[in-house]
Amino acid sequence: MCRIGAIKSKRYIHPSMALKLMRSQQEGHDDSGFAFVMQDLGGIFETYKDLPCLSMAATVQGTRLAEDILHDIGFSRVLQWSPEVNHQKGLKISPMPNYIFEVLQYPKSHKYATKEEKEELLIDTCLKIRKTLEENNSGYIYSFWPDILTLKEIGSPKDIGTYFNLWNDKEGPYAKIITAQCRQNTNYDIVRYAAHPFVLEGYTVLANGENTFYEKNKLYQQGLYKGYVGFESDSQCFLYTLHYVNKILKWPLKYFMHVINPLSYDSINQRKDKDILLRIKASLEHLETNGPNAVLAVTPDGKLLCVCDPKKLRPVAIGRNEDTVIMTSEVAGINDILPHRDIRKDIYPKEREMVVINNDLTVERWQQ
Amino acid sequence: MATVKVNQLHLDDLPWIVEYDEAKCIQCGKCVATCSFKAIKPAIEQRKVSGSITEKNKIEKRIVIKQNISFSEYCRGCGMCTRVCPNGALKITKNNDSRLSVRYRAEKGESIKKGGRSNLNTEGRTLDKIKVGRISQMTDPSLDAVRHTFELKTPLGRVLSADKLNFEIKNDEIISNTKLPPNRWIYPIIIGDMSIGAVSWRMWEAMAIATAYLNEVMGIPVRMCTGEGGIPSKLLKSKYVKYMILQIASGHFGWNRIIDAMPDMVEDPAGILIKIGQGAKPGDGGMLMANKVAKYIQEIRGVPKADLLSPPNHQGLYSIEESVQKMFLSMNAAFNFKVPVAIKVAASATSVSVYNNLLRDPYNIVGGFFLDGLAAGTGAAYEISLNHTGHPITSKLRDCYLAAVHQGRQGEIPIFAGGGLGQTGSFAADAFKLICLGANGVFTGRLLLEIAGCIGNDLDKCNACNTGLCPAGIASQDICLTKRLDIDKVAQNLVNFFIATDFELRKLMAATGCSSLPIGRSDALITVDKNVADRLDIQYVC
Amino acid sequence: MKTITIEGLIKNNRISTQDLLQEIQEKINEGYTNFEINACGQHDIGGSSWAKDPNESLTFKITNPGQRVGAMARKGTKIYVNGSTPADVGWLNSGAEIIVNGDCGDTAAHCAASGHIYVSGRVGTRSGALMKYDPKFPVPEFWVLKNTGSYSFEFMSGGIAVVCGFDCSDIESVLGKRACVGMVGGTIYFRGNVKDIASCVEIKELSQEDIDFLTAGMDKFLSAIDKRGLKDTLLNFNEWKKITPLPPDKKINKISVSDFHKNDWIEGGIFGDFIDDDYKVYPLATTGEGRLQEPIWDSSKCINCKLCINNCPQNAIKEDYSIDENKCIGCAFCATVCPKNAWEMKNNKKEIS
Repeated sequence: MCRIGAIKSKRYIHPSMALKLMRSQQEGHDDSGFAFVMQDLGGIFETYKDLPCLSMAATVQGTRLAEDILHDIGFSRVLQWSPEVNHQKGLKISPMPNYIFEVLQYPKSHKYATKEEKEELLIDTCLKIRKTLEENNSGYIYSFWPDILTLKEIGSPKDIGTYFNLWNDKEGPYAKIITAQCRQNTNYDIVRYAAHPFVLEGYTVLANGENTFYEKNKLYQQGLYKGYVGFESDSQCFLYTLHYVNKILKWPLKYFMHVINPLSYDSINQRKDKDILLRIKASLEHLETNGPNAVLAVTPDGKLLCVCDPKKLRPVAIGRNEDTVIMTSEVAGINDILPHRDIRKDIYPKEREMVVINNDLTVERWQQ
Repeated sequence: MATVKVNQLHLDDLPWIVEYDEAKCIQCGKCVATCSFKAIKPAIEQRKVSGSITEKNKIEKRIVIKQNISFSEYCRGCGMCTRVCPNGALKITKNNDSRLSVRYRAEKGESIKKGGRSNLNTEGRTLDKIKVGRISQMTDPSLDAVRHTFELKTPLGRVLSADKLNFEIKNDEIISNTKLPPNRWIYPIIIGDMSIGAVSWRMWEAMAIATAYLNEVMGIPVRMCTGEGGIPSKLLKSKYVKYMILQIASGHFGWNRIIDAMPDMVEDPAGILIKIGQGAKPGDGGMLMANKVAKYIQEIRGVPKADLLSPPNHQGLYSIEESVQKMFLSMNAAFNFKVPVAIKVAASATSVSVYNNLLRDPYNIVGGFFLDGLAAGTGAAYEISLNHTGHPITSKLRDCYLAAVHQGRQGEIPIFAGGGLGQTGSFAADAFKLICLGANGVFTGRLLLEIAGCIGNDLDKCNACNTGLCPAGIASQDICLTKRLDIDKVAQNLVNFFIATDFELRKLMAATGCSSLPIGRSDALITVDKNVADRLDIQYVC
Repeated sequence: MKTITIEGLIKNNRISTQDLLQEIQEKINEGYTNFEINACGQHDIGGSSWAKDPNESLTFKITNPGQRVGAMARKGTKIYVNGSTPADVGWLNSGAEIIVNGDCGDTAAHCAASGHIYVSGRVGTRSGALMKYDPKFPVPEFWVLKNTGSYSFEFMSGGIAVVCGFDCSDIESVLGKRACVGMVGGTIYFRGNVKDIASCVEIKELSQEDIDFLTAGMDKFLSAIDKRGLKDTLLNFNEWKKITPLPPDKKINKISVSDFHKNDWIEGGIFGDFIDDDYKVYPLATTGEGRLQEPIWDSSKCINCKLCINNCPQNAIKEDYSIDENKCIGCAFCATVCPKNAWEMKNNKKEIS
């Protein structure tokens, strides 16, 4: 079981907060990795919200290959941020030679392109870089999308924080949304791509638990959209389904839970919207995940959401004050970050419940 | 004194030998009175009483039980005589050197007819080589079969891919203004296709009662397929017709009555099943011998008392395109496009082509694909078909499912698999495994007969359904035999069997962490047979 | 009483659960009995330990613990948590008093077998599951001021739970959904709405004994969580009910299939318009109309040798060679022994009409 957390704030926050959030939940993970995604970026990134941001970890060769691809397509670099790494001895981390976080300008050919055309270019470029890096075994591309920054590494979360100088909140990237995971691995090899959070076209997902129907999800998703690749983790299926339901089918968010955790026929049959829900249940039968899981997600417009499956075997708690909301696996993490909050406002999502945090931090709770 | 000629039929030629222990016999006559095949008879035997050769022969006449030696009245191995014998004086043994099938053809110049099932159980079952091997432990918790709620329902009817549902969004809600093909959510086990005529009225009604009881009292939404022999009007006009899948085969038996009853029907039927072929005798049409065409069957089917041999094909359907148009469109239209219409074919090397073609159906009128494997049962068939034609269900189901996966269309036409399920006593496991391999559900017929008391097996025991002399009263239209069947007991046993099976399905779902049907969850299965693993694309283990 | 404060986070270094618990044990061995622990999510604090001096008790005052506070805690342990806690509070509690001034995560009081667990907020999913009662030890009590998550009290086999439903008027079930599945023992008192309870339990009104228990226990509970002011609100017994397992004789029996056939099935049967079936069941080798064959006597052939009469196993042939149909099973012995073929066996093959 991994430990996951998400922070959404009205002000810009620092990754050290995510490290602290996960710190007290240490026995829930196995010191094998730490990953986070920042959305709605601040600091040096704040002025480039409309331009794509590339997050990559690569060898020297991989870096060059990616740059060649970007150059060939016509992207030009606007801003580069390199974390100041700490080579202190004894840190438990398996670093990559290069970490690339850069903001790029669209090619001239796309100067007057529509939003859809630009998005198409970004996903195609991302997939191309991914494929090239894989073929040459020379690195990983985690995200290539406006206003998103992703870092994943193998090792102890605390030491990864030290290595990237992330404990120091005076420096470095800031964002209004940070999602993070500390890993508990069941695979012999620890694969960076298998680390949550996963990002696709502005959607971010991290999950605690199991996708029991991973195999059938995967078989179905492989043919649904070109961006549904990898499947290194069964939790990627949650991301792809969220993307499919919300972006491709254009269905409202709440239908995500009806797809991954469809209600029983008997329950649906008593509802007014039964005709719709039964169709969804039949048509997207192969996207049911059949838990147990607690899924956290961020949408491109910055909503933070949490969905619990019907088995409710995975914990999640939500704590908040006026300017910050935290969702995480154990309340101990929230206690560390927001010790003085009003605990009567804490939310313990129920089975089959979706909790959505809007941009003004208002909370919507949808019981399925 | 009777003369004996060497080419006369002899006891050695018969498939079953009745061993008779005179010392145990009290001559009650019950064995003879019981045997519906007239396979045994009382006979007078002469015995020499005195022991010495010097004395004049003293002969005593005694009544003994003897086996009939005949091409029509011979022992089928059903063993009813051994059940009634108070002393165990009779024993039935299989004659592995039987020549009857050769002698019969030589004598009569005709092919042998049989009922029941294949009598050459030589293949071994693939399903028995598969285990449910992906147990939820630690990585994810196994569920509790009692505590957790399980969804054991599956759609019957054409399922559209999500992007074809034409949903609209209004006030953050999905609404639909498009007419969509009918779907029914049913239990994944269907009571399969046994015709009135092939089975006795009591057997058929017991199945209908059990189906209604399972739905109304137990809340288990089992559907029953009527078989091709028509449907009684009283059932058509009752509320219970909603649990019935009406079948139409090449004979179209009883459909004039269905059409006639339509204005008086208070419920739509659960579905329509177009039978093209069946697993026990692929390439053959239905067969009902005259001795089973009782008066009421003549009425329901609209036929005289005669051997009813339906053609193997629907007359007028000579291409798959026509099949879709004529049969699917017309049957959909008959119930105003409100009832799912499915098709049943025998598993065959060509099944994938058929399924692929149906998947392309542009009118969304193909609502299910029933695939019937070779170990299925039948009321009557030529032995040559029964024993030598057909295709096992497991790989063919898998092929069809993977063909759909290949096109990204899995689940669009639900697949139901059948054919010899439960043969080795593990029906729930068979159903579970087939569902994991891609079936939406399964159907079974012959197993239900066994629950009702059928004593046939795959080693040539009984399997004389075609004769109408069913000793269990299941596959007979004779009053004396049919009345051996206790309708309430059979219905209760069927109900009990479904309750037990339902629990067992939950047990398997629980252990694999599934709270919904694991359709296509082949990752839950393993096999120690490398060939099976490769063929079915499941994990090989050793 | 020796008191000590232990920190779970020193500068930026979180002490591991292992180190923290070992440190506590060392201090217990040194004679400390009173602990203030400023935890950083460490697990299992307060469990399975006992004071060096058997006459003393251990007290833990904890902030921000991780999972399983007071798990496997013993008699003589008192645990006070200021704030909310993650899962498994009081798991297998074997006698401690555990007070949580906040909410609890999932499976609070799981398998609790003795002692008291007092919670001033809500508790999570599957709380109270498998609580038990061993008559050699005091009965376990589990008091919750607000409500529980779903699937609460599954497989409960003993003990007492009290769910006060405070501030829960908008909640449709203070025990969550599908509570009490598999419950075979114990008692749950609750105040407020419940919905979707397992069919193996029953909801009953309180007896005077129940009221006395709650009145006495409520004082202790409210003192423990420092909410004495709620006493009047909570002790309105019209708002309380209790749940106990259904005795085996009260389990609902479904109607039999034969009664369904008789009462609910289509009148006259679905073949009623073709067939007049009395639904009588013939045994194998039966008499009367159920015989497969019946003997027919031809008087012109009979020589009155009586072999048939003497050999009839059922004594069905009368002196005048007429057949007693209530005895004859159609065994054909008569036809077999007759020297003159005066008996012929006729098929009694009949079709229904």
